[in-house]
Amino acid sequence: MRAAADRKQKPVWALWANPIFRRYCKSRLRPKGLGVMLMMTLIVTGFAFALARAIALHELDPIDAARIPVIPILVIQGIILFFLGTGQVAGGMTAEGDEGVIDYQRLAPMSPLAKTFGYLFGLPIREYVLFLSTLPFTIWSFWEGQIPLFVAGQLYGGVLSSVILYHLTGLVAGTVLKNRRWAFLVSMGAIFFLYTVVPQIAKFGLVYFKYLTLYPIFEESLPYLVPQDAGAVVETAQRLLPPARFFNLNLPQAVFTLLSQGVFSLAAVVMVWRRWKLSESHLLGKVWSVALFAWIQILLLGNALPLIAGGDLFPSRNLGGMFNRFVDPIWEPEAMEAVLMAGVYGVVTLTLLLILLVVITPEYDTQVRGWRRVHKLGQKRLPFFGDSSSSFWWAGVMILLGTIGWFVFTKNIIESHWFFGEVKVFSAVAFALSLVTAGFGWQAILEWKGRRAGTLVFILLGVVPILIGVVMAVSNEALRVPAIWIGSISPLAGPVLAAINEVSIADFPRDVERAAPPAFWFWQCLLLFGAVRLIAASRQQKKALREVSVQ
Amino acid sequence: MSDYALEVHDLRVDYGDFVAVDGLSLKIPRGKVVGLVGPNGAGKTSTFKVLATLMEPTYGEVSMCGLDVLEETAKVRKLLGYMPDLAPVPSDLKLGEFLEFHADTHALGNKAQRRARVDECLARVNLTAKRNAWCRKLSRGQTQRLVLAKTLLHEPQVMILDEPASGLDPLSRRELRLTLQSLAREGVTVLVSSHILSELAEMCSSIIVMNQGKLLASGTAEEVRSELGSDRREMTMKVLGTTGELFSWLTAREGVSELVQEEGAVKFDFVGDDEAQVQLLADCVRAGFAVKTLEEKRASFEEILVEVAEGNETPLEE
Repeated sequence: MRAAADRKQKPVWALWANPIFRRYCKSRLRPKGLGVMLMMTLIVTGFAFALARAIALHELDPIDAARIPVIPILVIQGIILFFLGTGQVAGGMTAEGDEGVIDYQRLAPMSPLAKTFGYLFGLPIREYVLFLSTLPFTIWSFWEGQIPLFVAGQLYGGVLSSVILYHLTGLVAGTVLKNRRWAFLVSMGAIFFLYTVVPQIAKFGLVYFKYLTLYPIFEESLPYLVPQDAGAVVETAQRLLPPARFFNLNLPQAVFTLLSQGVFSLAAVVMVWRRWKLSESHLLGKVWSVALFAWIQILLLGNALPLIAGGDLFPSRNLGGMFNRFVDPIWEPEAMEAVLMAGVYGVVTLTLLLILLVVITPEYDTQVRGWRRVHKLGQKRLPFFGDSSSSFWWAGVMILLGTIGWFVFTKNIIESHWFFGEVKVFSAVAFALSLVTAGFGWQAILEWKGRRAGTLVFILLGVVPILIGVVMAVSNEALRVPAIWIGSISPLAGPVLAAINEVSIADFPRDVERAAPPAFWFWQCLLLFGAVRLIAASRQQKKALREVSVQ
Repeated sequence: MSDYALEVHDLRVDYGDFVAVDGLSLKIPRGKVVGLVGPNGAGKTSTFKVLATLMEPTYGEVSMCGLDVLEETAKVRKLLGYMPDLAPVPSDLKLGEFLEFHADTHALGNKAQRRARVDECLARVNLTAKRNAWCRKLSRGQTQRLVLAKTLLHEPQVMILDEPASGLDPLSRRELRLTLQSLAREGVTVLVSSHILSELAEMCSSIIVMNQGKLLASGTAEEVRSELGSDRREMTMKVLGTTGELFSWLTAREGVSELVQEEGAVKFDFVGDDEAQVQLLADCVRAGFAVKTLEEKRASFEEILVEVAEGNETPLEE
């Protein structure tokens, strides 16, 4: 046998030679387990195919009838790859940690990237085989339905890109979550969320999010997936739809989808890679997190801004779909929805900020170890980019970027030819305040008391007041003012209230208009005071830690 | 090239405020079987995890065969064989598949070569007959042996084995001892941990004792015994006639405690070296007691360890 140092590993891209991939090919493709699943898949797909075609043949010519089964089969393929595959990746990864064998793989002399690829394609190998078993039906439908090859290419290219992104997300969930059932459910829940809730958010001005799903490519391919006459109608209607816009660039939906998903896939690879290198490290480093935050802001703006002039960004245009364009040619957006969009943009920005702060804020243990190391090495400060250093300044950078993003977004909408309103710089200050109180307060809690306390505060202070406020407002109109006051306690309501207060183009009910500003400023001042106290407490702890580290 | 297989300098591992390993320094020469012993929470597993590149210490320098464990992780992993405590195995693989997978991760030649190496390792741990059995169906002892085979697969230069003997029957323990000693003869360095000091004493050329994250003693088994438990011994002195006077006389003697009066004998604990013991006996005879026999029982390794572990416990009153 060759000496240890001489043993050469296969290149990362040689998936067939990847030991982890091969290991899962062996364990997940045993005839006993695979056989039943394969039979069930073929029965269900065959049934869907035969039924769709049989119904279609009554009314359509053979070419059109052959196209009908494509969409039902695509749904089955989506369930197999998106849902089952992602769940399997997350659950399988958690199981590795749960059984304790993950340390063996950690010690294996393979590159972190090779390990990531091995798990990424190995864990869901059974689902890939099940997917392949449905392909003959698809190929037949494409062939007989005379669907152009490029449609198959862009559609299944999109499927592959989405699958990789979702499975990588599952891999990240699997490395973070300890319970395999939870990992399975959470990852499948995330996909469900992505295909139900996220597209609705996209209709509120955050167009970018729809590119995380297969919808844009599917819509672009739709004229070729339905009977030819209907396809022609869809194609005509689609000409009214804008292409994927990114500032001044017009891109095909498929290209932009691949680009958008690619960035998130890259971020997920970095997360898994970091965990492979060191199991205790943060999922993302500080620079990566801020860069990701900035990039998402750029993508949101890049997609949204070009759609304002034509009105395609507004919910009332999007919620009605293509229908509005035919039915109501003199359509105009309402001022209320513009304010709502500014609020939604703010809430999404704040949510993203809070999530990334969870990722980069060091817990107590990490801080103690960092300080002890620093003390031992005779240094004075924690390494600025290291996991153990404070995320305070990084939170500040993200708050600044988020405020700029919100201001640009809101200014472009409100000062557009639809409203001719004005957004003053002071409005950005109000919005920034809502990010400052929530962001710095959250950062300080995480650094001072850890994630468990943070979650408790998030639920009690962030979620519960909003729920109470909503119930009160819905139950009785007379309770609307107290509902606003109670809901405003939540830092999550800050961006929405900032938009209502500062963007004065919409006519809200009088009581709302009167109650919102004092409620916003009163609670924001209190929250600011709270955030300052928390930051002070966190600093105090840091001093104490510095002293502890000497022991 | 360094003469030492493992060198640790001022190693510290913290879990929040809990110090798991505190300023540990040691040097382990090549080709030795060295035992690491200590009660639960002594810091053995944390030390092993750092040595095995699975954990970053708070600080400290660790090198393996001259390579920096924290900086040259990939190279170190090629030289290292690590067997964790309660060695886990995957539930969805058979024995042969499990070992072939790990042979594959270490790039041990082509398929035939890997298979041959797997067979060799299975034979070494007497599991050849179980090649096609499911890993999950193995007994605790068989699982330990399987993971030992996995650890041997890539012919590591340094083996770190955390409680490898737990769950093994006496025969398997003996085989483990012989295997480790033969590996040491081949130049492999083995660092092995156990709660059972006597077990380590049988298989190790030297022993390191840890407690509360610190190194308490190191050396050969006898050196460690004398270092940790030399002072205390249980004595039974048999005399002719009544024991009342002897009891009173011994009570006043320095180093004597825990006296128990029995029929024709007094039992007591004596703390002191061999010379002090000779002096005690001489004084006793000089004082006129008709000493028939003086039996001495020194604390066993286990008792020493229990004493060390009991020293960790904080009294409830505090």
